[in-house]
Amino acid sequence: MFNTDENAGRNALRILGMILCGFGIIMLLGAIMGFLSVHMAEGGGPLNMSDYAIVAALISVNLMLAFAIWRLLQQMKRSDQKVPQREKVYNRFMVGSFLFGGVTGLIFALTGSFDANETNLFASGAMSPTLAIIMSVAIGVIMPAVTFYWHKNVVDEQEEAAYRFGALIAMYAFWFIAPVWWFLWRGGMLPNVNGIVLYFMTLSVALIVWFWKKYR
Amino acid sequence: MKNQLKVLRAMRNWSQADLGEHLDVSRQAVNAIETGKYDPSLPLAFKISRLFDLPIEQIFDDEFEGAVDV
Repeated sequence: MFNTDENAGRNALRILGMILCGFGIIMLLGAIMGFLSVHMAEGGGPLNMSDYAIVAALISVNLMLAFAIWRLLQQMKRSDQKVPQREKVYNRFMVGSFLFGGVTGLIFALTGSFDANETNLFASGAMSPTLAIIMSVAIGVIMPAVTFYWHKNVVDEQEEAAYRFGALIAMYAFWFIAPVWWFLWRGGMLPNVNGIVLYFMTLSVALIVWFWKKYR
Repeated sequence: MKNQLKVLRAMRNWSQADLGEHLDVSRQAVNAIETGKYDPSLPLAFKISRLFDLPIEQIFDDEFEGAVDV
């Protein structure tokens, strides 16, 4: 029992692997959708053999990635006989969030509910009021409530410290990156400062530092 | 900070998960404390102290060897 903990130390790599596989699945689903959209735009009709081969290859890679996630999850479960109650709640919360986000995104993508331009996070083009309200409520109302519950009831003090350190480094990153970008824009070397890009850069720094502090 | 947590845990044949369950923290937290990558808060240190029935200074060592001026 005592020695099984050494195996648990690799869980950071397993989680990282699962996240990368998840992103891979989302990107490949996008590729399949894109391929079929182009086919439809070119007149549609039945797919020929090479089209089927391409779609089948993309689906096969997706299935392999899904299998890899399942295997990594099984390895994580085997890495120790039992998991503390707090960690179980944490894991259920994480899996639930990923499933909810993934299924919602997939439904939007498969039903073609919104135009690709308006769902592009890095674009500043016009967005339908419906999607604007959905996103605002999700980020401005639901996320703060979930985050409050998350910090109050789910994370332990070691992870809380990881979040604090991540936030500190992200704040410094913002303090330094924003004015440097602004100066370089004024010097004509960079495009105008983009608030959303800065937001994602800050968020990325916070998440990378949090991950390193929690799992190193 | 150096500590005896891994030794004390081994003496009871507990896994990190077992200790995490007793302390209501994750295995990552137990691992981080054991390896000296994270120093627990005072409330958690007291909880550890009560769990193993030992004073805090017998579990955690800040490697201070001088005398405290009062």
